[in-house]
Amino acid sequence: MGSSIPRFRRPAAVLFTAVGMASALTLAACGSSSSSTSPGAAGSSATSSASGSATSGNITWWASPITTSTPDPRTVLISAFEKAYPKIHVSLQSAPTDTDTNRASLITTISGGAASPDVYMGDVIWPAQFGKAGLAVPLSKYLPSSYFSGFAPGLVQGATYSSQVWGAPFFEDQGFLYYRKDLLAKEHMSVPTTWQQLESDAVTLVHKGDVKYGYVWQGASYEGLTCNFMEYLGSAGGSVLNPGLTSATVNSSAGTQALSFMRSLITSGATPGAVTTFQEAQAMSAFATGQAAFLRNWNYGWIYSNTASSPSSVVGKVGVAPLPGFSGQTLPGTSNIGGWNLYINPHSKNVAADLTFIKWMTGSDAQTILATQFAEIPTLQSVRSSAAVVAKNPVLATVPKTRLIPRPAQSPAYAKVSQAIYTNVNSVLSGATSPSAGLSSMASQINSAESSTGL
Amino acid sequence: MSTSTPNRVIAPARPASSRAGRHDDVFRRQLARLGWGLSSPALILIAAVTIFPICYAIAMSVSNVSATGNGFSLSGLTGSNYSIMVHAAQWRYALFFTVFYTVVTVAVEVAIGTAIALVLERLTVGRGWMMALLLIPWSMITVINAQLWGYIYNPTYGALDNIFSHLGLGTPVFLGTRVPAIAALMVADIWKTTPFVAIIVLAGLVMIPRDYYEAAEVDGANGWTTFWRITFPQLRPTIALAVLFRVLQAFGLFDLPFVLTSGGPGYSTQPLAILAYNAMFRDLDFGPGAAVATSTALLVVIGSLLFLKVFRSQAGSEA
Repeated sequence: MGSSIPRFRRPAAVLFTAVGMASALTLAACGSSSSSTSPGAAGSSATSSASGSATSGNITWWASPITTSTPDPRTVLISAFEKAYPKIHVSLQSAPTDTDTNRASLITTISGGAASPDVYMGDVIWPAQFGKAGLAVPLSKYLPSSYFSGFAPGLVQGATYSSQVWGAPFFEDQGFLYYRKDLLAKEHMSVPTTWQQLESDAVTLVHKGDVKYGYVWQGASYEGLTCNFMEYLGSAGGSVLNPGLTSATVNSSAGTQALSFMRSLITSGATPGAVTTFQEAQAMSAFATGQAAFLRNWNYGWIYSNTASSPSSVVGKVGVAPLPGFSGQTLPGTSNIGGWNLYINPHSKNVAADLTFIKWMTGSDAQTILATQFAEIPTLQSVRSSAAVVAKNPVLATVPKTRLIPRPAQSPAYAKVSQAIYTNVNSVLSGATSPSAGLSSMASQINSAESSTGL
Repeated sequence: MSTSTPNRVIAPARPASSRAGRHDDVFRRQLARLGWGLSSPALILIAAVTIFPICYAIAMSVSNVSATGNGFSLSGLTGSNYSIMVHAAQWRYALFFTVFYTVVTVAVEVAIGTAIALVLERLTVGRGWMMALLLIPWSMITVINAQLWGYIYNPTYGALDNIFSHLGLGTPVFLGTRVPAIAALMVADIWKTTPFVAIIVLAGLVMIPRDYYEAAEVDGANGWTTFWRITFPQLRPTIALAVLFRVLQAFGLFDLPFVLTSGGPGYSTQPLAILAYNAMFRDLDFGPGAAVATSTALLVVIGSLLFLKVFRSQAGSEA
């Protein structure tokens, strides 16, 4: 017996192994070095020449894929920019498509003191968190207010935290309702303008065997579910936080109406139970393969489902409308604002060239390319309302009819607020929690996030 | 571990050695110095990527940490990170989930793994092939593994969904409902790591002396008695090793739920490692995140030492 036991003669060695393996948990291997360049130093050296007029230099641009179409809009834009500024060379660094992974990579890179990427494309919900942590350059220090006044209303305000503008609005996303024109015509239905009508139409279409699923949207436990919830909440007239961002207001009758309705979509059979695992890709593919009659998605849903080059099997049968509202309340319902801004890394060695790049990318040439070739919603008001542009982008014709609702991203603790929303909504959707219990747990988690007393 | 080399060199201080011996000593000392010199880059690298982050994480967990554009600034000594952690319902659930998950998966893996090893040991034809096949799940990267299980569990086109609806069992949403989601993660984990346990146990089985079995046969013991009286006691050190390795790994569970459920529905599949990751890299709460990571590592070390102690005292009492 004795001969085979002492495989652990050395507890120290075992302990060492244990600590070594557990260190994988300590996750702190990243971004802990401190750099000698402070944002102040980088800023002051750049201020002299940083009015956005540099015409030479090298820039690294960090951006996640904008659409799945070919050619890649990022490379199209870069080559157009390099044609306009031949002495500025831009190299593209492709970022992760998942917005949370994207943010985690950026945070470790920038807080580690890296000077590259110089310019990064970041979510519209980041300004407060990034501004507070010093992970971006306040653009309003370098660019005049005339630059910011050209954008569509609300966008600059969304990029503002602590009275500085941290990101330049690059393109905008909104939630839309996509529907199958052929199916509605077959059953003599009109395009639904209320949630109740959408629900009953969806149930009817499924029961008649016209389609496998009625209405698909994003119900997985992630940021996209917060966007979906905001739309029902906004339509019911509710809000997440009080204007001072100090306490949760979500546990209200509007909150109950919104959340109970979302759950009822599943229990009534209008929406498949599988929606609790759906992100954009799953919902989009269910609709584009003809399995669903209605879809809630961002504006790219149009180009993905209804253009000749798309992998869709429903080309020519798709209509787009503003999202419905609750009957008896303001119509249409509210659409959540998404989209991307351009930010500058505070350690960038070439802020002047970065500004030139940002100004061009948010200028009318680049914005027209984005709107006409890639069906994005341009941020520049003049491009958005140009008749020539609207003619090439049918989604833009619907944009003036939508009613917008932002996420409460003005709070630096927004990431936690959002998590409190999507985990609890997801739990209610799965049937594990009742809407009232979900709302009260959501409210208490939001309150502890705002008072930074919780995980 | 390499400290033993210089000790051995210094120790034999033979007073009146021959010229040849002294020459040998000098040579060995030079060799030792060369050895240290050659291994020092590796040692420094290990210190930099393992020991420094561990110490830094511990320091972060007891300080007020603020993330700035220039890295972290640590100030003061505080217990508030741990207090935030202990008071968070999320942490208590994640701790429960991680422990529960570890106990269930490791127990099942050891049971199935031992059974597989017993079969493999008796296989005469094709043992090499079987082992190679068994190692495929183990050798696959967990993220890819998780993606493949994601296809199986997918509620609209997944294989399992298809089977269930053809059997008339409805269309359960495996990853979107609490209990099935936990079970689905466990199945994927057990599928991947059981071969690892089987291979380790097989190595232990092969080392059991044949004459024990012959003696049992002479005494007329049946298969069941032979297993519990001879095979299992002889295997215990090997099984303990397998359990230890598996516990260390299972406690650090991250990639499987990260890919398959991202912790959902709600928080029901959120292990401690994902909680720590979210606290640090999503919420920028580096202090509380470091507290979660540090306490998790500490729990694993204490758990493993306790396990070893219990195991040894049992082995001792039986000897």
